[in-house]
Amino acid sequence: MLLAGGVLFAYAGMLGLCQGLERHYKHVWNRACPPSWRRVLRGAGWLALALSLLLCAQAWGWAMGPVAWFGVMSLAGLVLVLLLPYWPKVAVGLVLMLPAWGLLQVFA
Amino acid sequence: MKNTFTQSMAWLHTWGGLIFGWLLFAIFVTGTLAVFDKELNHWMQPEIPASEVSQADAARRAISYLQTHEAQAGNWGVSLPTERSPGLRVSTAERRHGGGVQLDPHSGEAIEVRDSVGGNFFFRFHFTLDLPRNWGIFVVGALALVMLAALVTGIVIHKKIFKEFFTFRPNKGQRSWLDLHNASAVLLLPFHLMITYTGLVIFMLIYIPAGVDALFAGDSRAYFQAQGNARMEQPRGLAKQPGELVDVVPLLAQAEAALGPIAGFNIRNPNTAGARIEIRPVLGNRIALSKGQAMVFDGVSGQLLSDVTEWRAAPLTQRVMVGLHFAQFGGYPMRWLYFVCGVVSCVMIASGLVLFCVKRGRKYATASADASARRWYRLTEVCNIGFVAGLLLACVGLLWASRLLPAELAQREAWEVRAFFGVWLLALLHAGVRPARRAWVEQLGLTALLCIGLGLFGGLSDGLRQGVVACALVLGVLLGVLAWRVQQAVPAPLKGRAARSVEAGA
Repeated sequence: MLLAGGVLFAYAGMLGLCQGLERHYKHVWNRACPPSWRRVLRGAGWLALALSLLLCAQAWGWAMGPVAWFGVMSLAGLVLVLLLPYWPKVAVGLVLMLPAWGLLQVFA
Repeated sequence: MKNTFTQSMAWLHTWGGLIFGWLLFAIFVTGTLAVFDKELNHWMQPEIPASEVSQADAARRAISYLQTHEAQAGNWGVSLPTERSPGLRVSTAERRHGGGVQLDPHSGEAIEVRDSVGGNFFFRFHFTLDLPRNWGIFVVGALALVMLAALVTGIVIHKKIFKEFFTFRPNKGQRSWLDLHNASAVLLLPFHLMITYTGLVIFMLIYIPAGVDALFAGDSRAYFQAQGNARMEQPRGLAKQPGELVDVVPLLAQAEAALGPIAGFNIRNPNTAGARIEIRPVLGNRIALSKGQAMVFDGVSGQLLSDVTEWRAAPLTQRVMVGLHFAQFGGYPMRWLYFVCGVVSCVMIASGLVLFCVKRGRKYATASADASARRWYRLTEVCNIGFVAGLLLACVGLLWASRLLPAELAQREAWEVRAFFGVWLLALLHAGVRPARRAWVEQLGLTALLCIGLGLFGGLSDGLRQGVVACALVLGVLLGVLAWRVQQAVPAPLKGRAARSVEAGA
């Protein structure tokens, strides 16, 4: 479960950083991104990446965790990049798995 | 050479990447497969039962087998069933390199198992290219240096790393191939750099022996002893007096408590007063590769004689780097991470090779081009097909050979290796006589079918083999989709590899 969380947070982080860029925001939503919102997206992205590191370290320990974190981040980014041009809304929608994971954590 | 710095870097990246990329692709593919070497071993030897037997029971059965059949041997080696390799194997000093005997962990009886190179072939090929060991290590080391150079020059010539960090524009021919090459390289750059650099560190003493030569006058044994790796002196006198072997099971438990999961043990001078029991952990209990480490017990009294060595900072650093490369730590989730990252590395190299041809196709593959330029272009194209699609075909061909060759064939392992290189050579020849696009489609399609077809060999009742078959199925479907896309690609200007290939073939 920690592992799944690490992966989901890494994906959310990459998504945040990606949507914080003018070009990619416009591609998905067809309108310009207000500068304040852009900062929020980027900030949330970095925060999610940090949380991903925390979860990876919880799952593997602080020696192996960062190794896994780099791999998870890289692969999450690649999945995002390959999804974006084909199904942009799906690529953004995938992040909804994160609240679902959170609910599972609370109730299970 | 070119005028500006960036231009010379681009020149180096292009030509170094092309000429050495063919072999680098083979190294990366076999390295990726070697992540699951033990699982492939298990799949390629279907006679080994998948039984859930505790290590204690298995150890007792192995020792009673050895007492009955090999009581006089000077050394017993036992590989216990582990999570990744459910077989129970015993060997003696005389047969250390011959593979030993597989036992049924339930009954303790010997079972007939076919000889197979197993997934170990991919592991060995990954660092020697199947050349004589030291030659291979030097060639692969040189290739790793080229890889590092390609990575660094790639960073230099890629001017929009951050601007195009998330950019992939499909169906745009050359543009798309470049995007794919960039995305797979940039997003996994930490992995590429880590795996290439740590690969060089493994054999650093073979590549640059001067330090040991200077400090220890070339005496590598003295060097290993200084690191605390000294083998314990064997008690020669005691080894002649008979003695009764202590029960190994409590020792296994003691070692497991100290080291984590156990891979197996050796008993030197069994049944003598000088017996020594060396218990080895599996490699993945920590990042640092614990190869060669063991807890040593007195074989008669059961006393702990020597614990595993604590490495000093410098050897520990090297061990951690080697461990990062070997990917034995962190259990199956980490293993899958390494595997998928390895697959992406292969895609990165292959897309670079294809990009070389896509970029030049319009210029050189047309009738108006200079004849010798056309010949060179065609050679590049054939090598691309033979070294990318052909190697994948050879790899899955090896798996088929391991199941199809008669089990009692003499020198069976050598025939498997011949099958691997035979398929690869045929693929190169096939690429040479077929139009390029047809060759890509046919080789990728055949590889896909063979991958998907691995399930036909059965053995699906056991988890490890199921995993191999399922993974091959997924890879087969992906390769099938790729073959289909190449087939479908419209031969229009600027429509990618397929278009170039058709022109070349015409």
